[in-house]
Amino acid sequence: MIITRQKNLEEIIGMLQGSEKVAIIGCGGCVTFYKTGGRKQTIEMAEKLREKGIDVVATGISARQCYLIEEKEAEALDDSEIIKKVARSIEGLEEAEGIDAVVSLACGVGVQNLANLIDTPVYPAQNTLFMGRRRVEGDFDIEQCIGCGDCVLGYTAGICPVTRCAKSLMNGPCGGVFNGNCEVSQSRVSEYDVPCAWIHIYEKLKANGKLDNMRRIFPEKDFIRATHMRKVEVAK
Amino acid sequence: MKYYSEFMRSLKSSEFTISGEIDPPKDVNPDEVKEQVKHLKGTVVAANVTDNPIGDVIMNTLAPCVIMQDLGLEAIYQQTCRDRNRIALQSDIIGATALGIKNVLALTGDHPKMGNHPQAKPVFDLDSVQLTGMLRKMREGSTLAGTELENPPEYHIGVGISPGVEPLEPEIIKLEKKVKAGAEFAQTQVIYDVKILERLKDEASHLDLPILPGFAPLKSIGMAKFMIKYVPGIRIPEETMKKLEESKNRVETSIEIVAELIAAARDMNFSGVHIMPVGMDIHVREMVERAGEI
Repeated sequence: MIITRQKNLEEIIGMLQGSEKVAIIGCGGCVTFYKTGGRKQTIEMAEKLREKGIDVVATGISARQCYLIEEKEAEALDDSEIIKKVARSIEGLEEAEGIDAVVSLACGVGVQNLANLIDTPVYPAQNTLFMGRRRVEGDFDIEQCIGCGDCVLGYTAGICPVTRCAKSLMNGPCGGVFNGNCEVSQSRVSEYDVPCAWIHIYEKLKANGKLDNMRRIFPEKDFIRATHMRKVEVAK
Repeated sequence: MKYYSEFMRSLKSSEFTISGEIDPPKDVNPDEVKEQVKHLKGTVVAANVTDNPIGDVIMNTLAPCVIMQDLGLEAIYQQTCRDRNRIALQSDIIGATALGIKNVLALTGDHPKMGNHPQAKPVFDLDSVQLTGMLRKMREGSTLAGTELENPPEYHIGVGISPGVEPLEPEIIKLEKKVKAGAEFAQTQVIYDVKILERLKDEASHLDLPILPGFAPLKSIGMAKFMIKYVPGIRIPEETMKKLEESKNRVETSIEIVAELIAAARDMNFSGVHIMPVGMDIHVREMVERAGEI
């Protein structure tokens, strides 16, 4: 899932200065599952913005804002038609005309996808944090994958050192293991304890009789696969 | 075997080799470096210069190395992966060796979050095993990209180990990898407990690698408590704490504690020791001399 947290309201209101008719569009994907930008949060966002004097004329929710309609299809439609096509109305979206600002509760991918289709400005209501999952106990969402483009999980007992080690170390733990935790997470500098990924990897490999995986030297990572502005050809 | 440095020559001889450490100054005044060199010279064969420990901004590593070598004390240039990618690491090494560096200590480096610029982007393009391999490759005449170095750098490669961490096995596995990658000596995280020395001797004896256990004086009870609470891999025996608490002269007691550890390492046939004076450079000679009497 894409993990997000809502921006503070003041920042959103700041972005909406000068807008007169605002629509709010939530997303039925990750942010619905993790309760940061689904139907309920979309309605709540509308209420909060109205309380602050923003004229929210419509609310809606798209199935997945990261996948809406083809650009070609959008070319033939005006903004209002596109918005109605890609989002199901919660309140007022069917009748809304003259919308001059859209607030999106999707992740950064959803916001950009929508902004690419319409000329009306789209403003993010969320900060997009990372690719992760909710821990079973539900008290934390945890980053699991930074998308390095060269997956090593097969050698590291299904635990990602690139993501879960604060230094993305490839060849075992550093000297900063403190009571099994990463020193970067200790109370002096952090609110949370985070277990050392490499100790976790070591214990699991050992239990599986695969400790030799840890004895191999991982060469320098190829960051061409991980640097910005990445794109790949569509899978056929 | 050809030795590029006096430090490596000493390690490979039967001499008990002592390295020291210099803390770079916080600003541009080089006098502190000169003072520390004055106190260490004659007692240690070479001295490390740290690379922005905990990530605080201080003078870089190379400048004190050069000042030190000009004053006749050999430098061990510490290089960390914290804030340089492989391009910067390699070009720094080329520059450092051009200025006469003959020993390099390859370390991961602290995370910026531990220091006074926690917002800084952590780099860690390489890790300490890969950095060790990079240093060897450069010495063999090539950059990581494979471009030839017609005049390759000449130095000896050292690495770190933290023998007090739990569990120790992954740390030992990593040390084995460092040896495979080109490590020629190791210096340890600071040790206060003889039991850690014994364990290190047992667990690393299969490696053909001179290891220098690291010792530092405990200047105060406050420092000891801070180390126990926040520094990974540190164990201070109760007996040592008691000695400090009951001491009428802390400086004297801290010198004595280090002297006892040096003697213990010598008696266990370690190749030498690494002394981190943490501000007590003026007393390093005494620590070593006192150990000789034990």
